[in-house]
Amino acid sequence: MEKLSSDDSNRNVHGLSHGGKILLFTCKRDPAVSVRERSGLTFRSFYFEREGNAFLNATEGATVISRKPSAHVDIVTCKCAVDVQKRVKTAFVLVTKMSEKGSSFKYSLLALRSSHRLEPCIEFKLPYQMKGKVSILQGPTVMWSHDNSVSYTSPEAEGVRKIPIQMSKCLFGELPIQKGQLFALGLSEPLLANHSPTLGYLCEGGQAFDGSLVLPHPYICITQCMRVLTADRVDDVLRCTVVAATSNQQLVLFENGTVKDTCEVPFGQAEDIQMADTGRNGCLFVVSFNQGHVCAVWKETFQMASCWSDVDSAHVDDFLGCGTEQILLIFRNNGISSGPLEKFIITDLCGISYSCGQGSEAPKASLPPQENSLLTLQALESRLQSGLIVLQELEREVRVKDRVLQQSIQVLTDVLSGRETVLSQPEQEGLVALWDSDEESNDETPDDKLHETPALSSRPKIDKLWHRITEEQLVVGLILTADSAIPASGVSLSLLTEPGQNSTPAVIQTRSQVFWLPARGPSTPTLSSPSPGFAFSEPAAKRSRQHIASDDFSAGRLAVTAVTKLAPLLTSGCVKCRAMLHYAEKAEAVFPGSGPTTAVLHCGEVSLDIRNLCQKPLLQNPQIKTDEVREDLLSLLTVLDNWVLRIDSPDYSLGDIDGWIKRREGFKKIDVSPEYLLLDSPGSSAPMLLRWHQINPFQGDLSIHSSQLQMLQFLDSMLSYLPDSCFIQPVKRARSQSTAQKLACALEKEVLSLREGLSSLLCVKDEEERKERRAGHGETPDSGSAEDLVRCCREAWQQNVEKSRLRLNPVVDAGRYREMVQSISQVKMDSDLAALCQLNQS
Amino acid sequence: MIQSASLLESWTQENNQLASGCKDGQNEPNREHNLFRQRRWSSDFHKLLRKIQGIPPHLDRAQLELSVVYNTCVCFTAQSQFDEAELLLTQTAQRLLQIAGDDPGTSDPSVLWRTALKSVTGTALHRRVLSLLCLQWGVWLAKSRLTAVQDFQEEMSLLEAQSGAVWNDCRAETKEKISNIPILVLDPRRLVDLLKICTAIVQGAERLTEGWSVLSALQAASASPAPRALIAYTHLLSGSCLAHMNRPQMALQCYRKALETDPRCVCALYQSALIYSRLENSQAEIQALRILHSMLLLPSTTEPAMAAGRLLSPSLFLCSQSLSSLLSVPSALSVLHSLALKCVIHSRVSEGVECYLDLLAALQSEDQHGVHAVVSTLPKLPRLYLEAGAALLMARRPADCMALCDEVIGSTLDLLPEKVLLEDPVARRVAGSGEVTEEAENGLVRLLWTAAAYLLQGHCYSQLKDWKQAVTHYTRCINLLVKVHYKDTGFSLQIPCADKDPEQGVDLCVLQRLKGLSLAGRGISFAQIDRLREALRDLQLSRQAHPEGVSARRWYGEVLWRLDRKQEAAACWEQTWSNPIPSLSEALPVYAQELQSGPLLDSAELHQKLQELGPT
Repeated sequence: MEKLSSDDSNRNVHGLSHGGKILLFTCKRDPAVSVRERSGLTFRSFYFEREGNAFLNATEGATVISRKPSAHVDIVTCKCAVDVQKRVKTAFVLVTKMSEKGSSFKYSLLALRSSHRLEPCIEFKLPYQMKGKVSILQGPTVMWSHDNSVSYTSPEAEGVRKIPIQMSKCLFGELPIQKGQLFALGLSEPLLANHSPTLGYLCEGGQAFDGSLVLPHPYICITQCMRVLTADRVDDVLRCTVVAATSNQQLVLFENGTVKDTCEVPFGQAEDIQMADTGRNGCLFVVSFNQGHVCAVWKETFQMASCWSDVDSAHVDDFLGCGTEQILLIFRNNGISSGPLEKFIITDLCGISYSCGQGSEAPKASLPPQENSLLTLQALESRLQSGLIVLQELEREVRVKDRVLQQSIQVLTDVLSGRETVLSQPEQEGLVALWDSDEESNDETPDDKLHETPALSSRPKIDKLWHRITEEQLVVGLILTADSAIPASGVSLSLLTEPGQNSTPAVIQTRSQVFWLPARGPSTPTLSSPSPGFAFSEPAAKRSRQHIASDDFSAGRLAVTAVTKLAPLLTSGCVKCRAMLHYAEKAEAVFPGSGPTTAVLHCGEVSLDIRNLCQKPLLQNPQIKTDEVREDLLSLLTVLDNWVLRIDSPDYSLGDIDGWIKRREGFKKIDVSPEYLLLDSPGSSAPMLLRWHQINPFQGDLSIHSSQLQMLQFLDSMLSYLPDSCFIQPVKRARSQSTAQKLACALEKEVLSLREGLSSLLCVKDEEERKERRAGHGETPDSGSAEDLVRCCREAWQQNVEKSRLRLNPVVDAGRYREMVQSISQVKMDSDLAALCQLNQS
Repeated sequence: MIQSASLLESWTQENNQLASGCKDGQNEPNREHNLFRQRRWSSDFHKLLRKIQGIPPHLDRAQLELSVVYNTCVCFTAQSQFDEAELLLTQTAQRLLQIAGDDPGTSDPSVLWRTALKSVTGTALHRRVLSLLCLQWGVWLAKSRLTAVQDFQEEMSLLEAQSGAVWNDCRAETKEKISNIPILVLDPRRLVDLLKICTAIVQGAERLTEGWSVLSALQAASASPAPRALIAYTHLLSGSCLAHMNRPQMALQCYRKALETDPRCVCALYQSALIYSRLENSQAEIQALRILHSMLLLPSTTEPAMAAGRLLSPSLFLCSQSLSSLLSVPSALSVLHSLALKCVIHSRVSEGVECYLDLLAALQSEDQHGVHAVVSTLPKLPRLYLEAGAALLMARRPADCMALCDEVIGSTLDLLPEKVLLEDPVARRVAGSGEVTEEAENGLVRLLWTAAAYLLQGHCYSQLKDWKQAVTHYTRCINLLVKVHYKDTGFSLQIPCADKDPEQGVDLCVLQRLKGLSLAGRGISFAQIDRLREALRDLQLSRQAHPEGVSARRWYGEVLWRLDRKQEAAACWEQTWSNPIPSLSEALPVYAQELQSGPLLDSAELHQKLQELGPT
């Protein structure tokens, strides 16, 4: 089946296994009879005898190839293949006769028809010598590659045929489909745009197919030999399993064109892959390599089973006649001119092993199927380890119990002997005390005091009143001088319309916020009123020191802002608003002992004109340190939605988040308040303000002032930077705040529902009236006597009088009224509850 | 026939399946199970890689190949298979160069990597190559090849600088085609973070003595993103560095920070205890030791907690010798012993007694369990018993003390040599006759233990005012002590604690002390039962054997007084006035020092007597 690799040019012995026997073909040039006489082919068959542990000669035969004396006869290859006509597996041998001139080569394929007769099967002539790979495939077909093309011939083919597709780097083989399909594979040349670069060609049908179904294209170049294990056509799609040996010293198993498994083999330059079915123990791939190396690889696990060197030829057959196949390895006998089958091994790597001439060089013990033992080992190991863990846990428990017992016994003995048990302080508390850990807790108190106990002062002094217009919103801000220290909690700003237009000034609906501008300089506006959950960070000493010269030495100033919608204000074109400051007076200042009273202070007017509204973007130049910029910042802080998020990463420190934000594109530091970073990219609509406050390496607060979408986008990108194990939570505001807010909400709802309920009640009535009136009008005759007209008019007038009387004292439908009262009382109850909560809080 | 899925896609899918399985499986609570799975992952990845590397390298597949190499190497590294990982990395670099067509002609990894990096500069592969280089860095670090790491400092900084941008790239890519990006089992940025801080820690530990430069590197490292335990280590190392720079208070602050950062960082506590001891702040030291001991008893502190839930444990990269010596903490029992000793020495006797009893109980229970490994760092058992006995005596529990001494005597008495012959230490050092002297030394040690046990018993009886028994035990002690002889007659017994030969010196010093103390004790006992002559003799001898003994001198004066040699007595007392009984020191065993356990002479009374004498 495979030629004996004959490095030795004198010997031209080729062997194949056929029906449990070894056939050896020798091209005989009888030296006794002179070379000129005739060239013949002799063959001998051997069978293995178990008792003698040797191969015995069964039959012999010879045939004459050429009678021409000058012909140079050589065996090219020999192999078993299925003879399609006879439907029997036959041994074939391909011999070549070189013509005298060496210009043409005559090839003939001989078939071993019976045990002692060689018959010519195909004869053909080539203008070249076959130098590449030659195979005898079923048919019989002889297939060879020459000069980047594949040719074949068979009894049916009538002459030598060439595959009509240009391919570079060709491979060929047969698909074990019912009717044998010979194919060739290669890289198509030139590359077709829509086509797989791997091209396949079926010789019998003469059709091309996608070769990557057999071998993916990167493998075409490196495959040295291949074997199709199974092939099947499902819905006209080829499905096949292929094993190939590559030049990268790998045996690769493919399934439908994808790599299923690989196995590293220790040699390159594979020449042949055979398969041995060892029965119950599975199949083996027997790979022979160039320099007499042979590897056996288990098919199931795709692990190497064994390998041999110095092998002359490897054959697979049932030499023992036991029903399963074995591998026969014939070793080279170095120089000793004895029979060809002196040194050999017959083995199936699982029990059967016969060897001869190997001497001490006994067959290498076959490696056990590695994967199985590995799995067993792993399972055992994991069981052992889990057992150990249980044991360790038990031991630990016992240790703890012992300790508890000891201590209790000690206490008991102490009690019995009347001694007092000495428990150290940390033991009593069950705490681990650090030696001197009581310094830090005092750190923050002075700071808090600074904010909470302002000096007494009768009324706040206004430093500056300003306003900004941004995106249909009006922000009015107020900065109080430092000495006007009033508690920040009760401060708010409200806007009143100019009394000139109406008889009474109306309160404009506004949202008010309070900020701390910290002591010594304007650097850090700290949001206080909406979220006192903020930790007041001490002003960064370094930065503020630079500003001392330019700024007042005040201690903590207060900024109050109010924001309202601009459009409703400007309905009359020009408007003047009064800004009113509400604040809680220190109770002691007025009546000692009484609760804080609220006071109102008029602090100025803001006038707006629709014709010259200056709406310029805020904070265009954050590098400037002026009051305007600070006011811009305060306005932005007021206008933008605000989220405070606590980022907490218990196991993994957060690193330099501030640096990360700064490194992001578009973020600029605001110089008046360096804690804030401004994102004002031209693309995004609204600016975004960020403030990162690190509590410790594992925790920090991030406050974001932006639109909700922007916040989500920013958080999303930030998540990729943060450690996986971190939590992000919105900071819970202080409880008093939340109850206050709840109460506010409830009250607002109450007012709203009252208004809506009433108006809907009255509106419905109006509607009805209107309908009635319309109907009434329809009844009035268009034409009639003056008397009639007067009468009608009078009636209508009387009705109108009646209606206006009713409108002043409206009568509403009892059912609707009941409904409304019910809903309002429900809302009221809610707000009462909120108020109660608030009371409990304060 | 339809076209099959391309190799690239199928391999990418395979990689992604493995990687996501790997990522999901990391949170497995069971550590052992995790190990098993890790092994499977690494073999799976390696299998995939073998497939990929089975074909010639190609630019189209390079991204995938590098990603799988990365994943495989991470798995290898996680299992400490550094050699395999390094081999794989080198091979990959070579394949990469094959694509580029470069051939540096060497297998030196640093040259290879430099060339490889150069060949991919500006391409999408650059990032992947950097992350592989990062793994190489990890391997170097794990193998303590710090010079190689230092060589690549520049490339590493490149890596850091890119990490932000790289990540954004990644996200952009992900948006493009989600399925085709090979997933990595570990974010390279996290790997860089980890390696950076580990390098800083290891380098810091290696160069602790270098001062400010190391300190600033450590400080920088402590602000970087890292697991909690590693941050604690940076503080710890800063502390040690400051301690080297002779700034103990700042060091203490750092240790405190370390402990605040990671409460399991007990080594910080231990180092603080050492600093307190150096500062002679005994109260703080005792407190620190006490906390340390109770923390060591907690099961959580002794377990390595760092590996939990992560693929790469930092401990893989922290294998420096000097670091591990810095991180090592003595066993709970040794801590308990030093705590006990400190308490006794710094006059917190009752606490000390409790500690000693705890220690003995723990030792006993361990003895039953057959665990002896821990004991080796502790002093020998008889010595512990004697120290405990001395503590009990000081706590006025003579009965307990006697029981302990009986134990010591019972175990050593049979093994006592008839006679201990000591050579002149100087001559011995020259001659170097090892075996004999070792035996003699052992004999001497045992003899000293027994003698000390008798001495303590004598103290006990004198505390119980059973003077006769006291005399008996003191006598036994003296009889034992006189068995020690010197070979060289020219060498007298007058050597006090010789610093030249520490061990022998201490032993000899103890011998002298014991002699002095036992003679003094016997003298005092004799004085109590009015055998003044014997008392005078013993006290005289005691003063010779141990001139520093204060109580011996005072009692010598007292006996003289009683013998009506008032002038001499007064002179003797005047002498003792100036030096009070010295406080206990750590240099000598407690039991070989004056314990103030016996009958005391009221100094006021002595004054009175002196004044009486004055006018006469």
